[in-house]
Amino acid sequence: MAVYVYSIVASKHPQRLDDLDGVGDPPTALRAVTSEKLTAVVSDAPEELRPKRRDLGAHQAVQERLMADGTVLPLQFGFTAQDDDEVRSVLAERSEEFTERLQALEDCVEYHLKAAQDEDALLRQILLDSDEARGFNEQIKSGAHSPDLPLALGELVAKEVQARQDQLALSALEALRGFARDERVAEPTGNDFLSVSFLIQRDNEDGFRTAEKQLADELGSDFDLRLRGPLPAYSFV
Amino acid sequence: MTVVPQGGGTLSRGVGGGSTGSLYDILDLILDRGLVIDVFARVSLVGIEILKIDARIVVASVDTYLRFAEACNRLDLEAGRKKPQELTDLVGEVTEGGSHGKAKGALSGAAEAVADALKGGQEDDEESEERTEEPVEKRERPARRPVRRRKD
Repeated sequence: MAVYVYSIVASKHPQRLDDLDGVGDPPTALRAVTSEKLTAVVSDAPEELRPKRRDLGAHQAVQERLMADGTVLPLQFGFTAQDDDEVRSVLAERSEEFTERLQALEDCVEYHLKAAQDEDALLRQILLDSDEARGFNEQIKSGAHSPDLPLALGELVAKEVQARQDQLALSALEALRGFARDERVAEPTGNDFLSVSFLIQRDNEDGFRTAEKQLADELGSDFDLRLRGPLPAYSFV
Repeated sequence: MTVVPQGGGTLSRGVGGGSTGSLYDILDLILDRGLVIDVFARVSLVGIEILKIDARIVVASVDTYLRFAEACNRLDLEAGRKKPQELTDLVGEVTEGGSHGKAKGALSGAAEAVADALKGGQEDDEESEERTEEPVEKRERPARRPVRRRKD
C-alpha cells in the first residue's frame, strides 16, 4: 500500500504523534518507519489527495509537533512511496545526507516574512513626491488630455512603485539578516513586495522578533508585515 | 478540523495550523519548499505549479500601467493620508489572503483556484476565525502592530 511521507527525524526523536491525524478524509493514522539512525513519519496514502486546507494543515501540524521535540526535515507536501520498504531503503541509502542536514539544522527554526504596502498610500505618496506624475494625473482628471497620457502616467508610477518597493525590501532584509544564519528570498507574489525566509538559531529568536517588530513599527500602519514562525526549516533542507 | 488546536498568538505558538491566514502565508513553503525525495511519487496536485506564476502586481505591461493610472485618478490627494477607510481596505485584503483583493486583476484565476481549494469546505470555520482574530482589532486600533504581536 502506498504511504504518504511527512518528515524525517533522527530515530532518537520521541515522535509524540498519538493525538494527531494524518492527511485524508477520513484521516489516516500516523506511524513511524525506522531504519538504523533515521525515522520517517508516514501514514497510508489517501486514494485521492488534493491540496485541501485540511490536508495541508495536517501535513504542517505533523511538522510542528515534531519540531517541538527536536530537529525535523519536513518533506514537501504530496510525496508518496510505494510501501514501507521503499521508505526504509531511502532512509538507508541517503542516511549520511539526511543526518548531515539534521545536524546542520539543529536548534534552528525558519521564520517567513511577507510584506505588503497599502497601494493607495503608496500611490498617494508618489503623486505627492513627483511633480511630473501629479501633473499627468491632474491633466487626466481635467478631461482634456491625449489618449496616451494614462499610459505615460501608469508607466511612470509603475517604475516608481517598483523602485520604492525594491528599496523597501532591501532595507527590510538589511534590518533582519544580522540575526539569521541563512536566508532565502523568493519572488513576491500578489500585492507583496517581500517574501523571505530566514533560518534563525533558537537563541537568536528573541532578537530577531524584536527587530521585526521594530521594523513593523517604523514602517507604520500603511504596511502589512506577516511574520510566520517558528516553522520547520522548509526552505533550508 | 484536523489541525492542532492552537490558542494564543500566532507567533508564540506553532503557526501553520493555527489559523487560515497563517496557513495561507506559508502555503508556498509547504508546497514548494521542503525536502524532495525524487524516487518517491509526487501526488498530482492541481495548482502546485500554478502558484509559481502567481505574478506580482508590479509587472511592466500595458494593463498594469492603465490600472495604476486609474488608481491614481481615483485618489483624493486632498484627503488625509490616514483615512480610516484605508485601514479597512488593507484589512480586507489581508483577510482574503494576498492573492485576492487589489491584486486580483493581475493574477491568474488558476492561482485563486488553489486558494479556493485550500479554503474548500471550511468557509464557516474561516469566517469565524478571521472575524475574531486580528482584523477586528486592527480596525479598532490604527496602531495595530503591537496588538498583532501580543504574546499570549
